[in-house]
Amino acid sequence: MILGHFGVGKTSLIRRFVENSFSDKYQVTIGVHISKKVVEVGPEESVSLIIWDLEGTDEVQMIRQAYLLGTHGVVFVFDISRPSTFQDLNRDLRIVADKMPETPLVVVGNKKDLAIEDELQILLDDNDIKADYLTSAKTGDDVNEMFTHLAMLLNGHS
Amino acid sequence: MATLKQYREQYISRNVQFVVIDLDGRVLESDRVFLAINPGDFIYDVHPFFASYASILETKEGSVTYNGVHLGVAGQNFITDVGMINKGNHILLVINDLTEHYTSLQKIAQARNESIINSELVVLKNLELEERERFKNTFIRNFSHELRNPLTSIVSITNLLEKSQLDREQSQMVDFLKESNAHLKLLLEDIMSISMIASGKLILRHKVFNLISLLELIAFTYGSKTKGTPIRFDLDYDRRIPEYIEGDRIRIFQILTNLLDNALKFTEEGSIALKVSLNQKRANKVSLRFEVSDTGIGIPLEKTKAIFESFTQLEEEGKKEGAGLGLSIVKGLLGLMGSEVYVRSELGKGSSFYFDVTLTYALDLASKPLKKNKKELLDLRKPKSNKKYRVLLVEDDERTQMVLFKTLMDTDMFYIDLVNDGALVLETVINNPYDVILMDVDLPNVPGDQITRLIRDFPFKDIKKIPIIGVTANVFEEDMDAYLKMGMNAVVTKPFDFNELLEAIVKSLR
Ligand SMILES: Nc1nc2c(ncn2[C@@H]2O[C@H](COP(=O)(O)OP(=O)(O)O)[C@@H](O)[C@H]2O)c(=O)[nH]1
Ligand SMILES: [Mg+2]
Repeated sequence: MILGHFGVGKTSLIRRFVENSFSDKYQVTIGVHISKKVVEVGPEESVSLIIWDLEGTDEVQMIRQAYLLGTHGVVFVFDISRPSTFQDLNRDLRIVADKMPETPLVVVGNKKDLAIEDELQILLDDNDIKADYLTSAKTGDDVNEMFTHLAMLLNGHS
Repeated sequence: MATLKQYREQYISRNVQFVVIDLDGRVLESDRVFLAINPGDFIYDVHPFFASYASILETKEGSVTYNGVHLGVAGQNFITDVGMINKGNHILLVINDLTEHYTSLQKIAQARNESIINSELVVLKNLELEERERFKNTFIRNFSHELRNPLTSIVSITNLLEKSQLDREQSQMVDFLKESNAHLKLLLEDIMSISMIASGKLILRHKVFNLISLLELIAFTYGSKTKGTPIRFDLDYDRRIPEYIEGDRIRIFQILTNLLDNALKFTEEGSIALKVSLNQKRANKVSLRFEVSDTGIGIPLEKTKAIFESFTQLEEEGKKEGAGLGLSIVKGLLGLMGSEVYVRSELGKGSSFYFDVTLTYALDLASKPLKKNKKELLDLRKPKSNKKYRVLLVEDDERTQMVLFKTLMDTDMFYIDLVNDGALVLETVINNPYDVILMDVDLPNVPGDQITRLIRDFPFKDIKKIPIIGVTANVFEEDMDAYLKMGMNAVVTKPFDFNELLEAIVKSLR
């Protein structure tokens, strides 16, 4: 399941991962889109990722309980170019961890193409943010790596 | 008329599909209303969403509803609510097509999210612009600071050159050089002032001071500047304005002289005038109007805004020498004081600049520490004996020399020696005992702060310890600090407040 504020690029990350495409146009997600991709995690070993793209809410707290059922892993995405999407990141992550203890969680800073590397690191440090991955759905940077990492986590987990 | 059953058929049934699957996910039955789902299919192959059927086996409630699920099946897209109900040995799926409903929600959410994101981006953009502006100002400040050192060398060398053997043509060239140096120095200082104001580095320092004597100092200065020219200078102030007020004396002086210099620049003949009137007095606040008017060339209406903008004047073609940044400094300083400058002008007749400031003034004597005459002040600190002190005045500017000389003589406390060249100071100090040195910082040849350093490094105690009071027209805090670091005991800024000056001298004598 992919979580995060609206407009951070959740849908775009999935589209990059599943279809290897990207659009600059912003199409708000309503409800939930589900897509699937099989990921090789080792020789002769693959994991089938069923990815739930939820409509971005302003409040993590509001995520419907139904969606949490059967969630094996969470990707939490923020947008490095919009402070409002990561200002309360650590609080949001705690809520997610409370709702789904034991569930592997990957923290992703997206739209890396909009920042300068050094400045980005300073920005993250200033806000006390530790991201597992910095991605760009636009350039595809680290997108596959991130999802593959998640798949391996799930594989080890199940 | 259609029956209710028919209506139900028409409006509900067509939008609701029932599917029954077994616990392995195999489709047992489907009424195939809008999704192509057939018995025998594995439900998770129809769409990956349905893989979630497995999780309802784990719930206690035995049923769960998913809202807004996008289902693309056999090339057709629907947005649905899906209920899953655990019936023990099979599961019932109730799929409700709400595509229209969700599509209209999507439009609303689209508009809402876009506008939120846009307004966030606008805020960010503004922050970035401010950041750039700050960077620009810091850059300019540092840059002009860097320029000051080479400029000081140029000025010193020009002064040396002037004293060497020159023919008429050469000495004319040196005169031009000196003029350009002076102009460049002014510009640099103006640019520094502006960038300090803009970057918020300039802080007003409020102190009680004598407003009337400040006005008289201005009258003296501009009286002598206009002497022998076809321009008359007039000072006129309301007798009811308080003598002592609290404010930043140096900055008020800077504002008034910038306006007056500007008036002088654009006036060929007639008069320039400074008028101070009283708007109102209330409790311990007084509102004053300052007005500087001239009989100069005037300003076209469409330019009355632009003249206060930094650097616009610099772009003007055929500008007058030195028509630099004075007015934008005025605007900036008044901004810091919470005030604004206005201009009235008539082409060919003249202009008038005016502003109002509200200042605090001392109601009772106790809070007017400075309201003592020089004699009284000195009597307080003066040792019993009638000893006179020896003062060395190091100053090259004749007007300042005169002012300082007269002030010091009036107290009848000092013998005064005068040196007008930095290079001669050391020699004079070695050969004569002084109780205190008044040291101009902007001296030709060797600057005053460097002489101070040399004196402080002297091997003889009596010389190395002589109190030195710096005298400067610089008003930048960092400069003051630097002078003190070089070993000055105190720094007094031009224009002088005579009491402040005397106090500094008396203090240094202990
Ligand atoms: N520059 C850039 N833009 C992106 C990136 N990812 C998404 N976007 C844009 O951000 C907007 C929101 O993306 P979307 O995937 O719909 O965000 P969601 O609401 O989190 O699903 C769209 O206009 C995308 O084109 C990225 O990595 N770089
Ligand atoms: Mg989306």
